[in-house]
Amino acid sequence: MFPNSPKYILFLVFSCFFLVQAVKGQNITISGYVKDSTNGETLIGATVKNKESTIGTVTNGYGYFSLSIPPNTKQIICSYIGFEPRVINLNGRKLSGLQIALIPENREVKEVVINSDRMDKNVRSTEMSRIEISGEKLKSLPVVFGEPDVLKAITLMPGIKSGGEASTGFYVRGGGPDQNLILMDEAVVYNPSHLFGFLSVFNSDAVKGIEVIKGGMPANYGGRLSSILNVSMREGNNQDFKYSGGIGLISSRLTAEGPIQKGKSSFLISGRRTYIDVIAKPFIPDDLAGNSYYFYDLNLKLNFILGEKDRLFVSGYFGRDILDFKSPTNRAVNFNLGWGNSTATVRWNHVFSPKLFSNTSVMFNRYELFNDFKFGAGGFSVRSGLVDWNLKSDFTWFAHEKHMVKYGFNYTFHTFTPGILAGNIGSTNINEAINKQYAHEYALYMLDEWNVNQRISLNYGLRAVAFQLVGPYTQSEFDNNTGLPNGNTKSYRAGETMAFYPRLEPRVNANYLINEVSSIKGSFTQTYQFLHLATTSGAQFPLDLWVPSSRLIKPQMAQQYALGYFRNLQQNAYETSAEIYYKPMRNQIEFKPGANLFFNQNLENEMVFGEGLSYGLELFLRKKTGRLNGWVGYTWSRTTRQFDELNNGKPYFYRYDRTHDFSLLLSYQINKKWNANFVFVYGTGNATTLPDSRYAYRFGIDPQTGEPQFVFVDRYSAVNSYRMPAYHRADISFTYLRKQTKKFESSWNFSIYNIYNRANPYFIYFLPDIPSQTVKAYMVYLFPILPSVQWNFKF
Amino acid sequence: MTKNFIKIASILALVISFSACEKEIKIDVPMSKQELVVEASINQLSINFNYVILSTTLDYFNPSLSLAAVRGAEVYITEGDIVGTDTVFNIEDRVQFFDYVDTIFPGIYLSGDFRGTAEKPYKLEVFLQDGRSITGTTYIPKPKTIDSVHFWLEPNKVYTNVFFYMNWLDGPEQDNYRLTLKTGYFPILTGWGTGTRFYTFDDSQINNQPRPFLNFAPYKYNDTLHMYLATIGRREFLFWDSFRSAANNGGPFATPVSVKSNVEGAIGSFTGYGLTQRSVIFRED
Repeated sequence: MFPNSPKYILFLVFSCFFLVQAVKGQNITISGYVKDSTNGETLIGATVKNKESTIGTVTNGYGYFSLSIPPNTKQIICSYIGFEPRVINLNGRKLSGLQIALIPENREVKEVVINSDRMDKNVRSTEMSRIEISGEKLKSLPVVFGEPDVLKAITLMPGIKSGGEASTGFYVRGGGPDQNLILMDEAVVYNPSHLFGFLSVFNSDAVKGIEVIKGGMPANYGGRLSSILNVSMREGNNQDFKYSGGIGLISSRLTAEGPIQKGKSSFLISGRRTYIDVIAKPFIPDDLAGNSYYFYDLNLKLNFILGEKDRLFVSGYFGRDILDFKSPTNRAVNFNLGWGNSTATVRWNHVFSPKLFSNTSVMFNRYELFNDFKFGAGGFSVRSGLVDWNLKSDFTWFAHEKHMVKYGFNYTFHTFTPGILAGNIGSTNINEAINKQYAHEYALYMLDEWNVNQRISLNYGLRAVAFQLVGPYTQSEFDNNTGLPNGNTKSYRAGETMAFYPRLEPRVNANYLINEVSSIKGSFTQTYQFLHLATTSGAQFPLDLWVPSSRLIKPQMAQQYALGYFRNLQQNAYETSAEIYYKPMRNQIEFKPGANLFFNQNLENEMVFGEGLSYGLELFLRKKTGRLNGWVGYTWSRTTRQFDELNNGKPYFYRYDRTHDFSLLLSYQINKKWNANFVFVYGTGNATTLPDSRYAYRFGIDPQTGEPQFVFVDRYSAVNSYRMPAYHRADISFTYLRKQTKKFESSWNFSIYNIYNRANPYFIYFLPDIPSQTVKAYMVYLFPILPSVQWNFKF
Repeated sequence: MTKNFIKIASILALVISFSACEKEIKIDVPMSKQELVVEASINQLSINFNYVILSTTLDYFNPSLSLAAVRGAEVYITEGDIVGTDTVFNIEDRVQFFDYVDTIFPGIYLSGDFRGTAEKPYKLEVFLQDGRSITGTTYIPKPKTIDSVHFWLEPNKVYTNVFFYMNWLDGPEQDNYRLTLKTGYFPILTGWGTGTRFYTFDDSQINNQPRPFLNFAPYKYNDTLHMYLATIGRREFLFWDSFRSAANNGGPFATPVSVKSNVEGAIGSFTGYGLTQRSVIFRED
């Protein structure tokens, strides 16, 4: 056996786990689920510990726990913020398959909690650069149009930057919006936007909680370079039938949930639709009648407790945006554009033994765009999209009180449909399709959460990933100078490999506990990304296409080094942290200036490839309890890109490079009825490219007046060398609990967005001013001071 | 209560939908290096479209045209021949273009003798007084004849919107087109800039079959429309296609566009047009 041989490495890996088994003591294991007594929903992150608080654990993402305790342990305590702690006597009890139901604290005096973490989790866990927000907290934040929004909420955290008021795209530590893996009950959401990016697809009524991992990504996650946004949907009440909803300015929501079989199974169905099209109808002039825009979405979840060891979840999402346009000058011209996501997930939780928990999921997701354009003499129909079939299995092995091992696999089959065009103009028929592409994506991972001793803990793992682009496909070669096919083609049979990229992603997180209230953490992650968003706008648009890695498009790669100091104060009531990170990125993709991405057979020729770098410091202070709670975050960062073909090969600031970013969120429980929230955000202006010269072109001389006629064309010599004005605003919201009985609860949410009416830049444009012979710059801003109101109810 | 809520919500929603505002801001952008700009156009149909215009880039915030013209240059266009795979230009065939109208429109170079020929290559040479030079080549492709023009009224009444479509035959070869539309009684373009609508497209979607062109922006009853359909080379197409993007660039999601020049020593294009022209009056006889 040789030290460098694969057999030797395998031997070491397995030895490690056998050693774990060998060293375990004579402890007993208790296991089970923790849930909310009122509705049967499992509680994620609930603490289970012995009475002396010397041994403890928290429930996983499915509410499951497994704890190894000395055999003489008589009692355990289970607690969760917002719920009464519960002492469980173990005498005479079955120790596996425990079902611990926690009772909520008196709701009338309950303080709004920011999240549901274990109180000292911030200091003790190896996790860093991770944020969790509960669905309840999400609803109380002040937002534009009064519409609670997951993606707007997370941009209040340090290190996560918003793409702007009209964008749900978010930017994590210098990464692009396509470098965030957005999951809804584990299914990938490729386009998280409604209303052209103003709102996200997540209906707050159906959201149980969100988790963002912006660094130190453990090995069980992968597929994107920058972050993971994990949105968990509620499971539904398995005790009583409940109905809830909200009526807002632009949309309304309605949710129904209840038991299918009491205590054993439940359903949840939640819908949302905008009605600006319906409201505006009476005010629209006749010549614009027939024009409308609306979106809707539907969430469905079924939850079955099949037995002590098995649970089955079925969840789905279906959402669409629909834009109808009829020309006011020509009624025969009709334009219909629609897009949306569909996802379906079947998950099976199985407890093989008190120490071995598994989750196996089968997922389907589809993003599609359809566009029908009709005119008197003909019409076109364009279709594009992406379909994934995904199978994954995750195992959690509570191997020892000092080791928790996770391993699993993930397989995805991708089908890309870049574009199908069919139609006619008069008697001329047009039928064209850009070749579909098919790919397999594989991942295999293993990680160990190892509490080395009282002070040191490690989370180390390895993720092996591979991407295989396969036929059937006919690849045409194009001349780079003319953009035309040169006549050479290469055909691939079904299943034949066109490109194959196997890669390894090592991950390490380490925590050194200085004392009970402070720790130092460090992490290293390496990630690869095989899917890339083809967009030139910097925002995420329905027409944007996802394209796979290929022979020419290499996988994107990032490494991230992070180091942080974490300290809690006043018995964990305050959390503080300071993190620094350094993140080099390779094979980054941009498009050539003026690239045509729509229906382009030769998209690869429009791309350029380069490198990125981001580094920064993030400071965070959070108060978790009390009538006044909230957080304040500050980030100093720098993000650059370097492409040989852009900016004369010199590095330039990334569009969303933001030197200073500050956010403040305060929540205050005024009394039993009233709760107030205040938000203030400040960010250095985005880097943007502005013209520095212009020239007159396409001359003509008007034969009647003799005046010259021409157009000005702008000239750009440097990329992103100008800074937009700084972005800042303050918002405030009040929630009034109008009525609360056992059977009915209603509340009003009043919010004012941008209370001091700051004109924040959306974009800049220029107009020549003839009298002064100059060009003037104008800044367009979207939202001035905006009041909104929303009524929420539950019965 | 509910009624009032809906009323308030309706008004607020409408206000919000159209609430984007703007204001003037001060921006200080240093000017980049001044560059030469050339717009050279030749065709086989009309002497009016054979010209070379020389200018320079301008300080972005000072758009005065008088600073832009380049005077006193020697400008030549030479017709060549294609011999096998080679293109040959003889210096004896060189025609000089002069700035005849310098006192009125400086920087415009014209020739009374030059007329292009379809399916011939051409070379542009410009020598400036300061020693700089500009060179470029082009080709006048075979023109395509507009076979038919149809128009209809929408709705079917006099004095309302008029739409039309026209047809020509696209051949099996790769073709690139520029279509310029001009309204009014004066049928001749005095420079391409006097057109009112411009379209640049190729035959990647419709090849080797009758090629329709349909307009969606209406004309008025009794309008006279002049259609100039030109075939152009691929490099010239890439320039005009990028020019279209660059000239229409703006808005929140615009990205900077650089034009794909087909000349050396300047920004711009030397374009040979295989030109046909047709006129129609939108009137029921």
